[in-house]
Amino acid sequence: MWSRKVKVNSYFWCLFLSVGFSTVAVNYVFEPTTKKKQVSHHLVLRSGTAVLSRVGRSRPIRVLNRLTIVMSDSSHYRPTAAEYRRFDLLAVYPTTEKLFHAACMTYDVDIICISVTEKLPFFFKRAPVNGAIERGVAFEVSYSAAIRDATMRRYTIANAIALVDTCKGKNVIVSSAAEKRLELRGPHDAANLSLLFGLSDADAKEAVSSTCRSVVLHAERRKSAGGIIHTTKTSPEETPPTPDDRTSTANHKHPVWNKTDMIGP
Amino acid sequence: MRRDADKEEAAVYQRVVRKNGAPYHYLKTHLVLEDESVRLSAVELKLFIISGLKNLYGEVGAALTFDLLKYNEDTLSALLRVHSRGLVKLWSSLTLLGSFQGQACCLQGPAGVSVPAGAVRKQS
Repeated sequence: MWSRKVKVNSYFWCLFLSVGFSTVAVNYVFEPTTKKKQVSHHLVLRSGTAVLSRVGRSRPIRVLNRLTIVMSDSSHYRPTAAEYRRFDLLAVYPTTEKLFHAACMTYDVDIICISVTEKLPFFFKRAPVNGAIERGVAFEVSYSAAIRDATMRRYTIANAIALVDTCKGKNVIVSSAAEKRLELRGPHDAANLSLLFGLSDADAKEAVSSTCRSVVLHAERRKSAGGIIHTTKTSPEETPPTPDDRTSTANHKHPVWNKTDMIGP
Repeated sequence: MRRDADKEEAAVYQRVVRKNGAPYHYLKTHLVLEDESVRLSAVELKLFIISGLKNLYGEVGAALTFDLLKYNEDTLSALLRVHSRGLVKLWSSLTLLGSFQGQACCLQGPAGVSVPAGAVRKQS
């Protein structure tokens, strides 16, 4: 059973049933400006599972909420912002090389979006890309721009090929940024399209199924670890004193679980 | 007795895996348009697909031979046949076909999945 992800800004749920997706992420793109620095609290987010069920399947479609932050400055991404918690998936769209490097190595996000509507403003370097792959962050290529316009098609394919060359086909997800019903393509079509981007057959299939699923799991892990600070200390009276124990409890420090510990490579 | 049976099994069981062994691949698609009352003839649809191939792959792509085996004008559904080496090109150009005469369109398979409907090897 494939678990696929589709990024969409529309509300036609029944379409996903017919096309063949089991998990859908609704994307909200946020572009911080000088006036608008916080994600609006009034955004109506989709519920966890759509009630619709697919013919021949026992599970209804799972709906996730995703936030994409368009970054042109390092202050646009605020790791401690509370509004990020409302979203299941977190993506960034870096526009400069410095931000791309920072997003790959340090930012606590699930997806890094690759520009498909313009010529790449920077080249991909192996070091940050490999760092991102080790951390479990995925790179996203969206294909609906290629459907809309011929020039965008060239940019999409060129940028995707550059990415796949650098990352060797690992941790790539292909999604539609469909704004209309007719811009959506099925998972098999998207997998075939990713062959054009230079992915191998196996990587192409993974790009629409297992890598997407691993991104969703990465997001769950990121969300759950965000709030855990667990400190325990055993007092010496509770433990039965033995010669070995006394020395061990005196020196023993219980692990303090904080966010950086949970999110290791 | 068991040994004989195993031997027989070993002799009979043979797994043959052919990768892309068939000469032709089939694609079942249907055209979904914004304006659902528009109808195309078979020739118009073929021309439309060739234009999609040309947009994506140029003259070399447009020269790719494919056949429109079956076409239903009412439901706009078609069965295409293409040589196996041309499958990726044809399929990707069908996926990226976005507009027909100014209106948005989509080439979808039955139940929305354009999967090659099987490979048939001609028995000589």
